[in-house]
Amino acid sequence: MERILEKDQILRALLPAVFVAFMAFSLIVIAYGLDTVAHGVHDTFHDFRHVIGMPCH
Amino acid sequence: MKLGIRNLAVSVFLGVVWGWGAMTLNSFTYAFPYEAGFLHNFITFSIGGAVFGVVVGGFIRLFGGLFPFKGRIPRAVAISVLLWALLLAGGFALSGMRPDRYHLITYQTIQGLMLSVVLGIFFGIFLSFDGK
Repeated sequence: MERILEKDQILRALLPAVFVAFMAFSLIVIAYGLDTVAHGVHDTFHDFRHVIGMPCH
Repeated sequence: MKLGIRNLAVSVFLGVVWGWGAMTLNSFTYAFPYEAGFLHNFITFSIGGAVFGVVVGGFIRLFGGLFPFKGRIPRAVAISVLLWALLLAGGFALSGMRPDRYHLITYQTIQGLMLSVVLGIFFGIFLSFDGK
């Protein structure tokens, strides 16, 4: 029982951190327009990237 | 330190509003003449803002209490600007590797810095975290 509770607590602590890490990775992909990671992301977020001051072509 | 659904929702909301604000600001400053249409940009700035908001909000919740100075707004601004500066540093590196593809434009960089400060102020006011 205690082990199940511990697992639940670990999951609760870990999931948000994993989610934020995933979003941080997404942010990097968007900010640099890494088409190699997500096809089309460069053109899709081109204007956004320029407006927030990130380097682009 | 819990991140929580409520804080996540607040982060997404603030990020989206910030994205719209960035879009509006650029319409006035004209630092970058838009290439895509309004609807396209409305959607991409909302998504980009939400992603930026979640990341900044998450980092503020996790590390907001670690700064040596007091006040929620200064701490939130510090984290927001640090994250933006980290991205920019990566951009410098990319620019060094592929100067033909990536180059910095001063006006846009200054605008980006201002926007990151504004995002930090948003979070300092509206997000609850340890920042006494």
